[in-house]
Amino acid sequence: MTLAPENKTKKAKKLSMKARYEALTRGLDWEPSYVEKDEMFPHLDYEGIKIHDWAAWEDPFRLTIDAYCKYQAEKDKRLYAVLDGFAQGQGHLGLTDASYLNAMKIFIQGVTPLEYGAHRHFAYLARHFAGPGPRFAALCQSIDEIRHMQTEIHTLSNYNKYYSGFHNWPEEYDRVWYLSVPKSFFEDALSCGPFEFLIAVGFSFEYLLTNLLFVPFMSGSSFNGDLPTMTFGFSAQSDESRHMTLGLEAIKFLLEQDEANVPIVQGWIDKWFWRSYRVTALVAQMLDYMLPRKVMSWKESFELYFEEQMLGGLFEDLAFYGITPPRHVEDAIKEKEILSHQVYWTLYQFSFAAAFTTSAPSDEHMDWLSQAYPDTFDTHYRPLWEKEKKNIEAGGRHFAPGLPQLCQVCQVPMLFTEPGDATTFAQRESEFEGEIYHTCSNGCQWIFEREPEKYRQAWLPVHQIYQGNCGGPTVPEVLEWYGLQDGDAGEYIGSRDHRNWQAWQGEAAADTATPDETKAGA
Amino acid sequence: MQEQTTADDPQTKGVRDVGVVIQESENNRPVIEAIEADNPGCSVMHSPGLVRITAPGRIVITQETVEEKLGREWETHEFQMAIVSYFGNIQEWDDDEIVIAWDH
Amino acid sequence: MQYELKTQVIEPQRQTFTHIAKRYGDKPASRYIEGSIDVQPKEHFQYRPTWDPTREIYDDSYSVFRLTDAYSYLDPRQYYYAPYVTARSGHHEAFATSLEYIEARGLLERLPDGWRSVLAELVLPLRHLESAGQLILCGMARFGWGATVTQSAAYSAFDRVGNAQVLSRVGIALGGGTTDLLAEAKEHWLHDAPLQGLRRMAEETIVETDWGLALLRLDAVDRLVYDLLYQHLDDEAVVSGAPAYSLVAQHMASWFADNRRWIDALYTAWREDPELGATNAALLAEHGAAAVDTALEVVTPFAARIDELLGGSSAVDRITTTAAEVRAAHTGAAA
Repeated sequence: MTLAPENKTKKAKKLSMKARYEALTRGLDWEPSYVEKDEMFPHLDYEGIKIHDWAAWEDPFRLTIDAYCKYQAEKDKRLYAVLDGFAQGQGHLGLTDASYLNAMKIFIQGVTPLEYGAHRHFAYLARHFAGPGPRFAALCQSIDEIRHMQTEIHTLSNYNKYYSGFHNWPEEYDRVWYLSVPKSFFEDALSCGPFEFLIAVGFSFEYLLTNLLFVPFMSGSSFNGDLPTMTFGFSAQSDESRHMTLGLEAIKFLLEQDEANVPIVQGWIDKWFWRSYRVTALVAQMLDYMLPRKVMSWKESFELYFEEQMLGGLFEDLAFYGITPPRHVEDAIKEKEILSHQVYWTLYQFSFAAAFTTSAPSDEHMDWLSQAYPDTFDTHYRPLWEKEKKNIEAGGRHFAPGLPQLCQVCQVPMLFTEPGDATTFAQRESEFEGEIYHTCSNGCQWIFEREPEKYRQAWLPVHQIYQGNCGGPTVPEVLEWYGLQDGDAGEYIGSRDHRNWQAWQGEAAADTATPDETKAGA
Repeated sequence: MQEQTTADDPQTKGVRDVGVVIQESENNRPVIEAIEADNPGCSVMHSPGLVRITAPGRIVITQETVEEKLGREWETHEFQMAIVSYFGNIQEWDDDEIVIAWDH
Repeated sequence: MQYELKTQVIEPQRQTFTHIAKRYGDKPASRYIEGSIDVQPKEHFQYRPTWDPTREIYDDSYSVFRLTDAYSYLDPRQYYYAPYVTARSGHHEAFATSLEYIEARGLLERLPDGWRSVLAELVLPLRHLESAGQLILCGMARFGWGATVTQSAAYSAFDRVGNAQVLSRVGIALGGGTTDLLAEAKEHWLHDAPLQGLRRMAEETIVETDWGLALLRLDAVDRLVYDLLYQHLDDEAVVSGAPAYSLVAQHMASWFADNRRWIDALYTAWREDPELGATNAALLAEHGAAAVDTALEVVTPFAARIDELLGGSSAVDRITTTAAEVRAAHTGAAA
């Protein structure tokens, strides 16, 4: 297919892209006279945001339906051709190692359902905003999100046929402890008013942190022989650039409409930066621990995609409106040296109750971590793993005995340390109506205390287990309620995936504890 | 794992970088070449599967240059097939050019 | 080594996801099924919505129409995103080809006066009705229960924007490359008597919070309007020298036929639900009939104006007949 423009050389009187877009998308609204306008758009006042002129919304992409369908159809044609070819050629055997797929298991369990949630709630914006410009942009995003959900499912469906941990993702999202991190994050956004949702997801998630979340991840796929994931990732990202634009346009629009919007928006940026950042903890450990062939460290991507591009670029721009960098950003910067290590160490110990497997890092892997984290890894984390190596040699791979306490807000286990002090665990307490609630950090405590009546509603998986709402009081009963099968959880070495992988690879790859560095690659 | 070419540091005199990330593929190579040609001060960084182009203050993608490099007609909407991400603000997306820049 | 691997037979551990296998057995499933079934979260919602604290984030009480199993409704077109946009890409390309032909032959300029007035006064203003359809279906995409329903609704909402753009492009062409007629069409929509019933219905349906009832009402009006404009008048156009009209109508008619398939399948799923079928059938009879009666009332002045402009096109007769058929389908009575 060539994508040449239609009859470009003919007709001098053709409308310009801008004029054509406006003619086709604007002016469809009218002032209702048979019902009240407030009745038609009832959710626009309660958050305190003031909009004076919806027509001031700019959509720089100027996509009309015919162009949208043409390019999206072409993108999908290319993507599905890659998926089909990969499946037919047993492409999964060319991965660096089966352990790589643990990252993708977390992806389908924890990220794919968010895409569905985004489909639903961008449809809400497409229904409830009083301007046709933002409504159309939101509707495009609503169906784009269906695309992302489905291309993820269709990409990972082929791995599901051969590997553990992929098979029961929707139920796991609703039930399993670590998946309440992304679930509570997104449902927090879904339960907000339309403008806060726009800042939460459209801006904070889709603009502020999207590059940090997805770009290194997709490069990781490419580096580890996962051509389908790389292809869906890049293909989805091309839509994402439209979504980023929506997010950025959204924030500028709100800030320009009324000065009274500025402090409200600032509060949302403060909240949603930290809320989104906590979800990236799962990505941090994937990058540093789950990719057999490393692309870049969490610290490196945080510096490039967040500190340089966002703090150094975006927030300078927003300063014009009186917006300052998010509250608690200093804590996040301090954490970049330790985040992935602390999170993975926790997941390692609790993976007996997860739908992925973990394994201790090899010596080579640890050397890479020492290089990437010269100030922290050898001091704080190598000793843990050296000790664990002795446990393993003695036949006693360590699993935690109980279940972790979860933060009331982000629902990550309470594993974080005080800012700037990697040895003292952070624990914050807040009282609300006679009850004590625990949070993991200054950021989460601040968020809790802003809206305690919201966060006390949280469905905390570990509390629920103790209350007997999760299949029964014993670990096997809970795991059955999670729908886990043999091979989904625990240690990777000796797991079903590991044994199959060795058999499929034959003798050449027998020693997969240290993944073969010469395979796959970009 | 990353190599950087055209390496002067643009973070000088308070001009902030903008950037665009493009999937590295046969189809996109002429687009990347066009951006390099139209933005003389840009830096190009390669990482697996990706090309990241940054420049101080502003990046422009012009239809004319892309068409020249590509040897066929190209409408600016097609850039959506190539772009993976960007930072900055898309100030213009017209028939003849796309401009990424910070507003303030 | 890679060469050897390709000849190796590797037995899959499973053919599909657990939730799909529970419904259909462990066998390969289509991309529509894997991409749609059970993907909506359904339990342990964390927080109540601030915009409606009486409900959950997803809640099946947003319509009186419910299904025991949300996924007993499947889109007969099996549209997941890729086939959906591919189909629509073809649709819009075909329309563009027709419009190019119409413009190259100057067919709009050669329309008989009555037909030109029908287009400018009555058809172009319906881009606003499409815009209402967009809002109504977006509400359904948000408040429906189950991913097969919300997916169909979102695509249909997107289609309404496409329809509005098709009508707008006809308007731009008819206006000689300007947007003048679109501006006039809005005035017609706001003020002309034959359109006020439709506009009232549109506004009242937008504010209906029960997405099932809203869909029934939108569908009732669509069935009268689309049949009248793009089937009945298409025939009339062919015999009365208005080929431009016919060339446009065919695209609207083909979209409408495609769109009705998912709606009919949803009605069928409601009616055939093992537990709620009888309740749903009674609700369909009651609200379906009321929706058709309202639709006939609001479309009648619109049809009468067509008859006036074309000098007798039996438009009113046509919608009266269609309304009786649709009513009978809802109530289960013979037409």
